[in-house]
Amino acid sequence: MDTFIQLTLNGLTLGSVYALIALGYSLVYGILKLLNFAHGDVFMVGSFIGFGALQLLGGSADPVVPVWLLLILITLAAMAGCAVLGVAIERFAYRPLRDAPRIAPLISALGVSFFIAYSMQLLFGADQRDYDAFSMSDGALFFNGFDIGNVRVPLLRIIIIVSAFVLMALLWMLVTRTRTGKAMQATSHDREAAAMMGIDIDRVIVFAFVLGSALAGAAGVLFALRAPTFAAIGFLAGLKGFTAAVIGGIGSIPGAMAGGLILGFAEAYTQGYISTKWSDLLVFVILILFMLFRPQGLFGKADIRKV
Amino acid sequence: MKARAVAVLALIAAVAAAIAASTAGAGSSAATATQAVSCSGTLKIGIITPLTGGAGFLGQEQLSWTQYALSRLAKPLGLKVQLVRGDTPVEKGPGEGLVVAQKMIADSRLVAVIGPATSGAVASASSALAAAGIAHISPSATRTSLTYGANKEATSSFFRVVPGDNIQGPTDANFMVDKLNVKKVVLIDFQEPYSVGLADAAQAVLRRKGVETIRQSTSVNTTDFSSLVTRVPNDADIVFFPTQQPPDAQTFGQQLLEQGKRAKVFGGDGANSPAQFKLAGSYVSNFAPDISGVASSKALLDGWKKANPSASLGSFGPPAYLATQVALQAIKRACVAGNGKMNARKDVVKQVKKVRIPSSILGGAFRFSTKTNDPLNAKFYIFQIQSNGTYKLVG
Repeated sequence: MDTFIQLTLNGLTLGSVYALIALGYSLVYGILKLLNFAHGDVFMVGSFIGFGALQLLGGSADPVVPVWLLLILITLAAMAGCAVLGVAIERFAYRPLRDAPRIAPLISALGVSFFIAYSMQLLFGADQRDYDAFSMSDGALFFNGFDIGNVRVPLLRIIIIVSAFVLMALLWMLVTRTRTGKAMQATSHDREAAAMMGIDIDRVIVFAFVLGSALAGAAGVLFALRAPTFAAIGFLAGLKGFTAAVIGGIGSIPGAMAGGLILGFAEAYTQGYISTKWSDLLVFVILILFMLFRPQGLFGKADIRKV
Repeated sequence: MKARAVAVLALIAAVAAAIAASTAGAGSSAATATQAVSCSGTLKIGIITPLTGGAGFLGQEQLSWTQYALSRLAKPLGLKVQLVRGDTPVEKGPGEGLVVAQKMIADSRLVAVIGPATSGAVASASSALAAAGIAHISPSATRTSLTYGANKEATSSFFRVVPGDNIQGPTDANFMVDKLNVKKVVLIDFQEPYSVGLADAAQAVLRRKGVETIRQSTSVNTTDFSSLVTRVPNDADIVFFPTQQPPDAQTFGQQLLEQGKRAKVFGGDGANSPAQFKLAGSYVSNFAPDISGVASSKALLDGWKKANPSASLGSFGPPAYLATQVALQAIKRACVAGNGKMNARKDVVKQVKKVRIPSSILGGAFRFSTKTNDPLNAKFYIFQIQSNGTYKLVG
């Protein structure tokens, strides 16, 4: 039972991060019908910005501000930096191709992904970057917390899971309860009709990139608080976020949240009960199965077309 | 149409130029391979190591010790030697070793190479260096298959002054059994040759000695090891974790503590980085000792510190000193045998295995094995990480 609880906790932690990444895919796809394959690299850049901010604030062992403020500041720095990056990607890589055949922005997205990954590697090297959260407050983030049975739920995991869910809730409220959110929904349903109703489509699209990229930046920091990051990490993280979005139904916000969590649990249980070497393979098996048998995902609607 | 014809012509010209350039390079390397070299002028030694990039720290360490060796040893041997630097950032992949080697090959006065530093770069550059008759002596490439097996990855012109991973795995396993009295060990590999080879070698010894072993495998891209840690039994004594990324070893150890596991992490030479893997109580093995504990090397160390006041001593530098010492002695022997000149650069290759160093910087006498181009009776050293993050030699 302890193993099951521990693996569930592992899956929840990982799944929260995947859900945040998946939301970025879904937001952009929902509005532009574009698979933003550079999204995983935005996640990576977020983790690097967080690392840089952490160093500027004195490092993990001896920060110049209290640890709770440190965590908030590095997350905000990553979100802001990634939001700017998202806007730049939209402006220079996707907007000029908005009316081109759908394959063109897809290729552009792959190009941007490689450009970001290799630029980061050239600028900062291939070395892993470790936030060393273990040194924050002398290990309190790892050892303080509460117990479920014999399993300790450490403070750091609580912070990661709660932060991810708070961000998801804020996004949900923003999309469903604000004018901008409703404009996003309208654009998602029918871009031309929304434009005719006076919605500034460019503004909505840019806002979707800002939101999605900021969430990826936050995901980058939350992930890197527990595991080292490096310039090439975005590719696999992006693929997992994409798979999570497909599971939930790409374009669906609740679907992306559910898909991320399902993927996190699937990975953790596979590693814990079957084999640690099969977990990445499992992700792609799930992706293929969904593509074959339920391409609209769990929460998406089937695309019915008149011929 | 005209523009298209111009484009086609330009393409043909570019291809022709590329072919001409590559064949010219081959011709010049073939010529320099058999060219006589006078020992009276300035000779050159190359160093092929990552001077920049993620592994730049080890390359800079090797460079400083190579320079130090040249400044101390060349003149007493009656040699004038200039060092040629070749940077192979690991981010550019192992093929960069060949690119750098080819530039060195073209220089007819370059008679030996210190390096390549990494096993991948050795595998990529060894054939070209051998064809040019250049001895290449690595201070840090430990992959077993470079010098062992039916399909050796390196040529007979390759030598190394540190032992291969075939020594490391059993050394680590024997230490676990003999000194730590382990009963249960988890071994993890990352589905790539370095860690699989090391884990296989250690596991074979552990099993032979009656230790219960559990083998796990994960992707080299994994950095969150939570679920892998969950699978580590509570009564496991050691997790053998031969990563090439020291921060991974640090994270794995922290996640063991987080989940209340009592097992200690045991890393290989790839995890050896006092700046990045500093979890107290953990172990790492390395191909070189901490020479500050070698009494006979104290004067050498003091001299190096004086020449490099801002550098800190690591374990990658002293083997570079030894490799340079071997190269210089082989050059001297070739010059003496040829009465002041070498008939060809390969004369140095012939002399390398004859070099004997009675008191090496790594401690004890040094010579090569008669069976392979590895050092005779070389061993790996085990360090335990102390609470202040320093590495203490324990085996």
